[in-house]
Amino acid sequence: PGQAPIAPKSHSPSNFRCFMPSLLLKVAQIGSFEPPVMLCRVLLVTRNEPCVPIQKDGDGFPSFHLYHKLPSIVPESCLLILVGLLLGGIIFGAEEKSPPVMNSDVFFLYLLPPIVLDAGYFMPTRLFFENFGTIFWYAVVGTLWNAIGIGISLYGICQISAFGLTDITLLQNLLFGSLISAVDPVAVLAVFENIHVNEQLYILVFGESLLNDAITVVLYNLFKSFCQMRTIKVIDIFAGIANFFIVGIGGVLIGILLGFVAAFTTRFTHKIRVIEPLFVFLYSYLSYITAEMFHLSGIMAITACAMTMNKYVEENVSQKSYTTIKYFMKMLSSVSETLIFIFMGVSTVGKNHEWNWAFVSFTLLFCLIWRALGVFVLTQIINVFRTIPLTFKDQFIIAYGGLRGAICFSLVFLLPPAVFPRKKLFITAVIVVIFFTVFIQGITIRPLVEFLDVKRSNKKQPAVSEEIYNRFFDHVKTGIEDVCGHWGHNFWRDKFKKFDNKYLRRLLIRENQPKSSIVSLYKKLEIKHAIEMAESGMISKVPSSVSLSDYHEAKIKPLSPTEMENMREILTKNLYQIRHRTMSYNRHSLAADASEKQAKEILIRRRHSLRESLRKTNSLSRERPAAANTKRFLSLPKNTKLPEKLRVRNKTSSRVGDSSDSELDAATTVLNLRPRAGKILRDQRLRQQRPLPEFRVEWKNEVDGSQVGRGEQQDPSTLPQPSIGFRQPLLTRPRFGTLSREDLTADHGSARPMPPPRLVRQASQGDRPRNKRTIDNKPWTY
Amino acid sequence: MALSMLAQESGSVTSEQIEHLHRRFKQLSQDQLTIRKENFDSIPDLEFNPIRGKIVHAFFDKRNLRQESDGLAEEINFEDFLTIMSYFRPIEMNMDEEQLDRFRKEKLKFLFHMYDSDHDGKITLQEYRNVVEELLSGNPHLEKESARSIADGAMMEAASICVGQMGPDQVYEGITFEDFLKMWQGIDIETKMHVRFLNVDTIAHCY
Repeated sequence: PGQAPIAPKSHSPSNFRCFMPSLLLKVAQIGSFEPPVMLCRVLLVTRNEPCVPIQKDGDGFPSFHLYHKLPSIVPESCLLILVGLLLGGIIFGAEEKSPPVMNSDVFFLYLLPPIVLDAGYFMPTRLFFENFGTIFWYAVVGTLWNAIGIGISLYGICQISAFGLTDITLLQNLLFGSLISAVDPVAVLAVFENIHVNEQLYILVFGESLLNDAITVVLYNLFKSFCQMRTIKVIDIFAGIANFFIVGIGGVLIGILLGFVAAFTTRFTHKIRVIEPLFVFLYSYLSYITAEMFHLSGIMAITACAMTMNKYVEENVSQKSYTTIKYFMKMLSSVSETLIFIFMGVSTVGKNHEWNWAFVSFTLLFCLIWRALGVFVLTQIINVFRTIPLTFKDQFIIAYGGLRGAICFSLVFLLPPAVFPRKKLFITAVIVVIFFTVFIQGITIRPLVEFLDVKRSNKKQPAVSEEIYNRFFDHVKTGIEDVCGHWGHNFWRDKFKKFDNKYLRRLLIRENQPKSSIVSLYKKLEIKHAIEMAESGMISKVPSSVSLSDYHEAKIKPLSPTEMENMREILTKNLYQIRHRTMSYNRHSLAADASEKQAKEILIRRRHSLRESLRKTNSLSRERPAAANTKRFLSLPKNTKLPEKLRVRNKTSSRVGDSSDSELDAATTVLNLRPRAGKILRDQRLRQQRPLPEFRVEWKNEVDGSQVGRGEQQDPSTLPQPSIGFRQPLLTRPRFGTLSREDLTADHGSARPMPPPRLVRQASQGDRPRNKRTIDNKPWTY
Repeated sequence: MALSMLAQESGSVTSEQIEHLHRRFKQLSQDQLTIRKENFDSIPDLEFNPIRGKIVHAFFDKRNLRQESDGLAEEINFEDFLTIMSYFRPIEMNMDEEQLDRFRKEKLKFLFHMYDSDHDGKITLQEYRNVVEELLSGNPHLEKESARSIADGAMMEAASICVGQMGPDQVYEGITFEDFLKMWQGIDIETKMHVRFLNVDTIAHCY
């Protein structure tokens, strides 16, 4: 990759014209904008039909979704290659000449960086660094082992004159070995995404695929220059080894440096929010190009840059910019991946091949053997240093997950034909290996994982309690380590955190307020729940007459379509768990965001809700009809959601009932969910005395009139809207931050779960206030 | 005392590791036979740990020391020290299901005792709030209210996991140990809760 000249070859329209089927060719010859047209068509065919609903059982990956069984059996990459083959076949048939092969420059300069950027940005850094030793070991020593092993054994095969391969020298074999031993991150991502193995395994294979770029670059260049040199001295070999360190470390340093610059830049961009995403992409691409320019490892540079940026930029940019960055990154990487696989398919068809049974089959055989051997031997060694040793199952998956892909494909095309007269042979062999790994291994890895019962990732919802436990746990471990006087992982992590907080964050982050991950997670979850509440309120669109009469004092207001859209957007990330591994490194769905102000709003509301948990139980009866239809989405009990629904209704009561507040404070030492009849009655009376217009006016002031205020302008008497089951949208915009504390409704932390039968009973009883008064007698058992 | 006997008692801690720990113990106790709470003050890094109190407390908790009685011990000797440390030993490859399960329960019990400060076998809301407040105490920007809300929210999650849907007059007293186990079900604590006792070089700064 280091050899690719920076200025790409001219991509004249004639190159791309060949891609089109002859039919389109005729049509498109009219215009001069053929390349983009062709590209768009290709992308549209294989990419999204926006109206195709996202299937829950599938991958969530938009294309091929009409056949939703297909992606679960066959990984996306295979299908894309097949499409590419088809296209290539059409072009070949139509034009009677080989379609242009994938331009290596295009690949290395344009197609590869977005994928690596996306992967690096969403990499779970903690897990990565915990396993860093193992990853590094596999990447460096493993790739070396593979490269040299394959090279030498192939050389041995070539010596056998029966195969007609004797003109391939040792160095050429070594070079071939080095380029084919590189595990490819694109292919790994494409395949591992479907199978959901546990995070540790994933990070081992994927981390290895990212880090081995350094070794690949060095070996490739080393052997290539050796091939062209007359004599090779020992000093050259040492130079090669030194080169490795320079390439690897240099790449990482460039990446980190530019990551810091990017973070620093974004510190000052709060006036020009619109171009914040630009900086992210610009700097990361810059790091890649710079590294490539100095013949260092571009992949490592861009990975390091992305990981650095992720930490700091996230806090500097606005919410919208962050969303833009995420989505754009995903989009770019999806497009790149598609194009890469299609190009691979297209380039396969043609006259670039020379078939030699022995070479091809032995290449494939040796790739598999050396990979398996390598993983096995290396694991035995590294297990001594690991606290949790890797089992055989893990080793098998790691070995089996060593997929080759577009990187070796492009590298082989970059071989200078003058030095490699048998270049076509190499191309054929590489293609066979890639197809084998992508198709056979890609398709069979899923049943194998199931057969071997490899530990899968927990697709659990993030829970606040878990975060608390994890944090608690970390501190315990650190504490114990301190007591032992032992410098463990935690020690270094702590030290880094302190350094980070003291210097880096002050420098790179605009408003440096130390944030706790617990609080962030809590806020995120709060918002999620709140939105779900609103959404589930939406679901019960058909109210009963009973509920209608109940809500006459409430402010019901239909949600506008835009509000719904926003909520849906945020919800889909959480409710429809598309390929949900962990929130951080899923390529095709994004983690939930939270905005600061919204979050604060929720926290404050929560507080109120729990304080008044005992008071509002009777109002739950009103909630029942609507709540009956709510769907359970989360682990949180129904009772926690209902209160938020009632916020609208009971906003003012929090202000009115001051005395009850103090009572409640005293009472909340135990999470007592038992209703207290006297207070209920009292509150009920208070609530009914609550003036309605006052209620409404507040909302009008606070919330954007166009959105929320629609119902507000209306006369109170017209309030019982059909959309009764509807709750106020709790969060639509950051403008919620303008709400002062007093506006927050009381919450009902102690809501009950409500079964449908209640609804029937209520309807028959008609007069609700009467029901409420009889609370004493009936414990609201459900 | 016979170190090998100790080794067997505390499980798979090797004699080399025991020697390391012994050296460390002597450092902490300033060559006395027992350690008191005050000795833990001499560890500088521990100062920055938000749950420092709980950690130190855990060393003296009689439940952790596997003693029959309850409450806090005044001082612990090396054997007790080792007992506490044994909670953090890593799992071995050759453990069978039952051993693993027991192992896991032990570790979780240790954590449970850290939460349950009044030793009544339940983590009540107040105790939980305590824990969260302590955890977030390092952050000056955080309001106490937020910590409380977080604790409340977490408690409710716990209630839902452990008890499911509750009736209106059901009172969720607190998280018992069984509930605690349920909550940690998804997390493989046995692989995470370990401290490597290898290469324990008592470092100059711990005096």
